[in-house]
Amino acid sequence: MTRRGRMLQGLDQEIQDFIDRETQDNIERGMSPEDARYAALRKFGNVTRMKEDTREVWRVVWLEELLQDIRYGLRMLRRSPGFTAVAALTLALGIGANTAIFSVVEAVLLRPLPFHEPDRVVQVLETTAGLPYVSASGEDYLDWESQNHSLEGSSITTWTQNYNASGAGQPETVSVLRVEANFFSVIGAQPFIGSGFAAGSDQVGQDHVAVLSYGFWQRHFAGSAGTLGKSVELNDQPYTVVGVMPPWFAYPQTTDVWIPIDKTVAGTSARGNYSYRVIGRLKDGVTIEQAQADLLAISARLAQLYPDTNRDKGVRVVSLKTRITESSRSPLLILLGAVALVLLIACANVANLLLARAAQREREMALRGALGASRGRIARQLLTESILLSFTGAALGLAAASWCVHLTQSTTWLPIPRQNPIRLDATALLFTVAVSVLVGVFFGLAPALEASRLNPAEGLKLSARSVASTSGWRRRLRDALVIAEIATTLALLVGAGLLLRTFARLRSADIGVRTESVLTMAFVLPNTRYAAMPERRAFYDQLLARVQSLPGIDRAALAQTLPLEGDHTWGSYPQGAADWRTATVQETVNFVTPDYFRVLGIPFREGRNFTPQEFGRALEVSTKVAELTKKNPKLGITPHPDLACSSILSRAAAQALWPNQNPIGKVFISGIIPVQVIGVVEDVKATGIRDAAGPQAYFPVTQDIDNWFYPAEIVVKTHVATESALAAIRSSLQQLDSSISLFHVRTMNQVVAQNMEETSLQSALLGIFAGLALVLAAVGVYGVMAYLVTHRTHEIGIRIALGAQPRQVLSLVMGHGARLAALGVAIGTVAALMLTRLMSSLLFGVAPTDAATFSAAIVFLVMIALLACCIPAWRAMRVDPMIALRNE
Amino acid sequence: MSTKEQRERLELLQGTLDLLILRTLLRGPTHGHAIAKTIEFNSDDVLQVEQGSLYPALHRLIKAGWISAEQGTSENNRRAKFYRLTAKGRRQLTLETSKWEKLAGAIARILRGTEQEGKL
Repeated sequence: MTRRGRMLQGLDQEIQDFIDRETQDNIERGMSPEDARYAALRKFGNVTRMKEDTREVWRVVWLEELLQDIRYGLRMLRRSPGFTAVAALTLALGIGANTAIFSVVEAVLLRPLPFHEPDRVVQVLETTAGLPYVSASGEDYLDWESQNHSLEGSSITTWTQNYNASGAGQPETVSVLRVEANFFSVIGAQPFIGSGFAAGSDQVGQDHVAVLSYGFWQRHFAGSAGTLGKSVELNDQPYTVVGVMPPWFAYPQTTDVWIPIDKTVAGTSARGNYSYRVIGRLKDGVTIEQAQADLLAISARLAQLYPDTNRDKGVRVVSLKTRITESSRSPLLILLGAVALVLLIACANVANLLLARAAQREREMALRGALGASRGRIARQLLTESILLSFTGAALGLAAASWCVHLTQSTTWLPIPRQNPIRLDATALLFTVAVSVLVGVFFGLAPALEASRLNPAEGLKLSARSVASTSGWRRRLRDALVIAEIATTLALLVGAGLLLRTFARLRSADIGVRTESVLTMAFVLPNTRYAAMPERRAFYDQLLARVQSLPGIDRAALAQTLPLEGDHTWGSYPQGAADWRTATVQETVNFVTPDYFRVLGIPFREGRNFTPQEFGRALEVSTKVAELTKKNPKLGITPHPDLACSSILSRAAAQALWPNQNPIGKVFISGIIPVQVIGVVEDVKATGIRDAAGPQAYFPVTQDIDNWFYPAEIVVKTHVATESALAAIRSSLQQLDSSISLFHVRTMNQVVAQNMEETSLQSALLGIFAGLALVLAAVGVYGVMAYLVTHRTHEIGIRIALGAQPRQVLSLVMGHGARLAALGVAIGTVAALMLTRLMSSLLFGVAPTDAATFSAAIVFLVMIALLACCIPAWRAMRVDPMIALRNE
Repeated sequence: MSTKEQRERLELLQGTLDLLILRTLLRGPTHGHAIAKTIEFNSDDVLQVEQGSLYPALHRLIKAGWISAEQGTSENNRRAKFYRLTAKGRRQLTLETSKWEKLAGAIARILRGTEQEGKL
């Protein structure tokens, strides 16, 4: 036993002894035994307090009190499970949602890229007048590379291309990025198995080496340690595996294999041909601005040397991180802002609950004071209770947050950059827990302390009603909190409403094609085994013939890209234009078979479809262009009459080239090719559902038959189930060539849905947040009104006794609720008007100040608020004056 | 207890209770009730020991090491806790007593002086 334990042992007995002696003394003074005992007790005073003070002498007392407080606090929380559950769940929502969203923001926006000295990694973009950037041209890059003084190293890369991978494991279509040998040291990441590309492995003859992504290594080689030195077949060519990247390395996202590119014979390295991405590593101590100035100077020299191609060109140097994250920055920040508002509402709600609870416990506090508890003691007790509550909320919030974070980790489709793994962010967790503890302490403690300041005798005499009337500031505070909740909720509701309308607008947007019962899928024809263009054409013809004849397939076509997914433009100008530069129109190009228009329901406005002769002609033209390019990569800009071919334009393209003229039979020049217009079709949204339907040109599929960047898309109109149509097409393909696999199998409706993915996710999340806010605000309004009714029961009783009609009682309560709602809505409208402007980049077809959304949100919120008042109002109407008055 | 009696009784100054307890225990070990009674009796009932402060004071003195406590049997054959002055407590008593006397003397001189001035 401790010294303290020994010392305090027998204190009770000692006190008893003292009182007995005093009683004895009093009896000796002549009092009756009963009086003597009362006198002794009175003289002794407050036994409990004295015992506390004695214990206080032995300092460790705080520990004992803490344990006692915790036990008591837990008992109090258990005794009012409704309050505890609502408060803890509210806090858990705030903490969980904020921690989860902040964890994502931290991983995507705040944490540096997981590369060596990531601040030095930049992307160099070639700019052109009127456009933010274009891909870089190979020859321009070679000049940048040899003349710059600011980059330690740089690498050209292609865009990801689809290859058929075979050899070990299942054949599959993989994303391949072609890079220079120094790519991994420029970006600052090394393979975790193997040494990666040796210097010079991007020279022809040594370039059949590959670095694998962790995922592909697992899928294809079952993560075997002996993979190094083995061979993987890419489009039927063997590549020796020289490295496997660590699991976190994902640049560009979803790349499966990196193979070398020879930048000198990149084939399409001609100036004026913009097909590459350039990444670089800044020299130590060089800033992005310095590098930008350095490269701009080179670019200016190139513009003078090669005015034809480079006159309007410039250079932009951006940090790779900025480039990767720029499109997700504002949606993420908007979500973070929204979820912070949810935390605010949650805190206001908990504050309200605690204030109401404190009011109920005023007499308890007065009683404790009367029994000898000091103010400090009461404060500590309440502090313990508040903190217990906050920690319960925090524990639940942590569980919720880690579940959400786990969810984001395991879903691969989230449209956010994933260079860094998302993990539960401790800072965010601590911050939100601290906020909720502060709220608990402030709103739980302050009113209770005020109560304990009351003279205990008075406090005990007070009825609940009169206690409430002594603390007008608290009622005003509760009203203010509810107003703030309603205002914040309105802002969230409007935000969610605007996104939902955006979603609806996108859903109903006219893409220009009929998506029903259209199935799409892609395949890659390896250019190694199908090297010659006639062979490729023969394969396409055979495949199409087979697919077309399948039962269940109404119609089939091939295309280079699907609607909404086009990203390939050709500059074109009308033949005979005075100044070709000003007359140039950027057309999104697509390469199709004739039935493409019928499969997708794109109507002809004028002219006719392609004939088989035109398909043959297109093949000749593309073969000639390939030969010309091989001889002299600098194709120049003079049209070659012997390359003449035909095209079908979209209405917008025809209008842009020859405004208000009949375009049929007219000729436009694209590069060196004169193209005759044979038909005009209706506009289609070629580049994305949010984009306007821009100018588009369709060519026969044979015109661009060996474009590495695009797999061939098969589009079919089918009247049977997706699975059976797919199985049939797959077996047709296998019969032609068993090493080719189908991928990207989607219905046309799924293609559309994928294009709206970000908006769907944003509106879903913001919708959830707004829903949470609405529930919390409703609870808040209900709480305040219920409290009001409880504490005015007496008054309402008197009113009813004096003849007030139920309608008047109803309007007493509803009137108060309506006043709060009106004020909240007024403030919220102003706040929403300011906040929604920030999200205009996420919206489509709806203004950030959209009156319909605002009024719908306001009406909905006011209805919910009034609904929350109904139960208390109903209770008020049913107050029985007899009981209410007798209650005093 | 009459109000007259109450008015005549004085509450102890902060800290003086410790001194009086030490002084009381100089006569020999005794129990709590007796300490209170002795102080009241020896001050002709002018000083009133707040029982609420007696036990905290006793424990404070134990903690400081100036008194010690032990179980004993009181005169009416009841088990009670007896408090005893320690050597350290004895030294403390001497120190506190001289401090108190100096303080009391100084206050008395000032009060007397003011009284005389008032008479002049």
